[in-house]
Amino acid sequence: MLLIGPIGFLTPWILAALAALPVLWLILRAMPPSPKLVRFPGTRLLLGLKDPHPVARHTPWWLLLLRVLAIAALILGFAGPVWKPSPDQAGQGPLLVVMDAGWAAAPDWPQRQARALRALDRAAAAGQPAALLVADGTATGALPFLPATELAAQLRALRPAAWETRYPPDPQAALAEAPAGLSVLWLSDGLDHPGRAEWLAALAGRGGVTVVPPDGPRQSLELVAGDQPALRLRSTGAAAADVLAIGLDPQGTPRELARLRPGEGGGASADAGVTSWLVPIDLPSELRNRITRFEVEGHGSAGAVLLADDSLRRRKVALAGDDRAGEGQRLLSPLHYLRRALAPTTDLIEGGLGDVLQASPDVIVLADQFGLAEEPGLREWVEGGGLLIRFAGPRMAASERLAEEPLLPVRLRAGGRDIGGALAWGEPRSVAPFAADGPFAGLSVPQDATVRAQLLAEPAPDLGDRTIAQLSDGTPLVTRAALGQGQLVLFHTTANAEWSNLAISGLFVEMLDRLVRSARVGSAAPEADRAEQPFWLPELVLDGFGRTTEPQDATPVAAADFARGPAPGAPAGLYRGGERVAALNAGGPMAPADWPGARIERAAEAPGLDLRGWLVALAAVLFALDALGSAWLARGRQGATA
Amino acid sequence: MKPQADQLRAGAEAASAALPALMLSAERLAAALVPGAHGQRRAGMGEDFWQYRPATAGDTARSIDWRRSARSDAQFVRDREAQVAQSAAIWVSAAAGMDYTGNAERPSKRDRADLLALALAMALLAGGERVALAGQPPRPGRLQAERMAEALVARAPLPGDEDAPPAEALRPGQRVILFDDFLGDPQPVLDYLARAAGLGVQGALLQVLDPDEEGFPWRGAVLFRSASGALRHDTRDAAGLRAAYLARLAERRAQLTGAARMAGWHFGTHDTGAAPSQALLWLWSVLEG
Repeated sequence: MLLIGPIGFLTPWILAALAALPVLWLILRAMPPSPKLVRFPGTRLLLGLKDPHPVARHTPWWLLLLRVLAIAALILGFAGPVWKPSPDQAGQGPLLVVMDAGWAAAPDWPQRQARALRALDRAAAAGQPAALLVADGTATGALPFLPATELAAQLRALRPAAWETRYPPDPQAALAEAPAGLSVLWLSDGLDHPGRAEWLAALAGRGGVTVVPPDGPRQSLELVAGDQPALRLRSTGAAAADVLAIGLDPQGTPRELARLRPGEGGGASADAGVTSWLVPIDLPSELRNRITRFEVEGHGSAGAVLLADDSLRRRKVALAGDDRAGEGQRLLSPLHYLRRALAPTTDLIEGGLGDVLQASPDVIVLADQFGLAEEPGLREWVEGGGLLIRFAGPRMAASERLAEEPLLPVRLRAGGRDIGGALAWGEPRSVAPFAADGPFAGLSVPQDATVRAQLLAEPAPDLGDRTIAQLSDGTPLVTRAALGQGQLVLFHTTANAEWSNLAISGLFVEMLDRLVRSARVGSAAPEADRAEQPFWLPELVLDGFGRTTEPQDATPVAAADFARGPAPGAPAGLYRGGERVAALNAGGPMAPADWPGARIERAAEAPGLDLRGWLVALAAVLFALDALGSAWLARGRQGATA
Repeated sequence: MKPQADQLRAGAEAASAALPALMLSAERLAAALVPGAHGQRRAGMGEDFWQYRPATAGDTARSIDWRRSARSDAQFVRDREAQVAQSAAIWVSAAAGMDYTGNAERPSKRDRADLLALALAMALLAGGERVALAGQPPRPGRLQAERMAEALVARAPLPGDEDAPPAEALRPGQRVILFDDFLGDPQPVLDYLARAAGLGVQGALLQVLDPDEEGFPWRGAVLFRSASGALRHDTRDAAGLRAAYLARLAERRAQLTGAARMAGWHFGTHDTGAAPSQALLWLWSVLEG
């Protein structure tokens, strides 16, 4: 770079073309060619005539000046002028560029490349060797120091990886060939990664370290397991962008299906420089089942993309029990109402209890089934994370051994209770408003939903905690209890209209939907069945910018590596193992990096003001003026002759 | 006969083929001229019968027509129609500028003027006139056309820009036709016209010009040079001179038209881009009237 006063030139040799300007001046001056010689008998008639426009003899000086200035502006513009370029603070020694190349580096990747290229240009101009440490976990061995010009192509071809930034494990080994007096430019992604402190110490011991912090906050997206699926959005900044839920619309076109706003569901919590928001995925099941990915709006990074897999998808619901539809009374069958309520949003399995258990459903619904103690495997299934929803009914009420019945959230009193019958005093009870912290929070209760009969629970100290819905007189309508990792839910009334008209109200559908959504998807952790699924094949991978691509080489990933998250060889993406599809998502916890002892380059001083565009624009304006001036001159001449 | 003269003559024959025989009116010719083929529609010397009239005192006995007189008591004299011979002089400028043509496909002004002159001469000769180039004795007959063609072709162009018609060759009663571009000094022509008017000579001026000279199509920087190189004019904006040039050309034509009318002459223009018969018809109509 050549510095003239406050202006630096990136390619100063182009300025040599300025020497041609005087020649150009002369050529432009001599533009009117020597006159044409014409033998003309009428010359006598011409004698003594004056030229009407003697200005045409030479190009007027101002037009000439305009053209020369325009060309000078072009030459200066192409010489790459920079107003007050940033001083070459990186020192004069051999250059080491450390590029953080994980997903966190993706959003401002071009600026990082440009900054590193600038440093390489300077090293090349100074004749210093340079090395490039790409911290994407693939660098091995000692870093080779090469002439800086040879690294530019490699640097341009670099792309951020779809996993976290990873430094080579041993700084001393990697820096074995490093000459003394190193000047280090560290293009950080702003986050702390394993080994960073060791590297910083090792590099600081060999020369000055200049750190270029990232431009803007980093954001990451993570799925939070729980009753209600939710996203955790983390950001190193104070504000959060919206989260877009993207999927196929009914026409099969990928589009934005929903927009989740952080801060609406849960408050923000700040911790050590990272703010995180809990974003509940509060969407209808039909919509949620179509979502293929979530992404933070305007943040092109693999960490800000969350691919949806089975854990977000439809629940597998098994209906087991007494289906009396075969006898021709369809509307009396409790399973009929359940089927109609669950079919739109879930995958339904029907059959005997033993059959459906083998299909490993997420939810099993039993209507008025009794005597489950003998059912093999049901208890184990619930303890392994299943959700068992049971409905009461006449058979259960008639049982004498109801108190010993297992797999119920509460102990039931035998006999039941008939409220609105002909022999009863009371009126049918309506459903009380739901508690604000229960699973049915926010559902509106229709006034005409009434219950005529129910099974009553034995009073117990924890009955109130287990009741998630009750009638207007305080008796439980729905109770819930945990069993192992699973849950037991009991509706104290029937699933058909025999005891209650709840089953024919819209509330019934919404309640079931809430319950099913709270079910855990079977075996959410892939490592749980390592023996069953030893390898995962990539089906769709993300690049560092969060864009989906076809996997280049479908190398199977061992389940043990898969469980450790994205890594070299296992980029973030969708992986298939047998029947199941699991997503490997890059986003996760973040910790901002600190740089003791290093010089941090502030963004304001970095680039200097590039004057090239202005000068080229000036040249264009001058040429336009020149065209106007020429046209004006020509028009003046023609106007005189006409 | 030279080949060029042959060609010129053939071209002139073709040009004059469509023209009816031109009969020159001879109203102003004096009687004492060589008899020619033109009846004067009055009694005089001639060969054709004109009228019988009663003899008067002074008529010689020899003049009495006895065959007519024998049919009555009076004596009659047989008058013949007076006949005079018309002579025409044709002059074609030999100035260097006449060799100009603005386009190789067009004939030069000199070629066109020669062609017109010879065609006119043939038409006149076919009408029995006596024709010659100015300064030479006029003769009748077809052979005269060949002589004129030879003389026109053999004549070398003058080195200078100026050529004036020979005023000393003017004879009373002549008809004179001048072919020139009239772009040189106009004064000799004006003098010539004045002297011709004084001698009672009538005629016509035909200005033969190239389309370039009438249109002035040049633009930009041009150095104009006269045919001999004696005159030159330098300009940077030839298109800007066009209006002034055309104005001067019109002024020159107006001057010549005025002078011609004063002398009883006619002034016409001819463009070498146009057909020659047009100019020939004009000359014919002018000379007949």
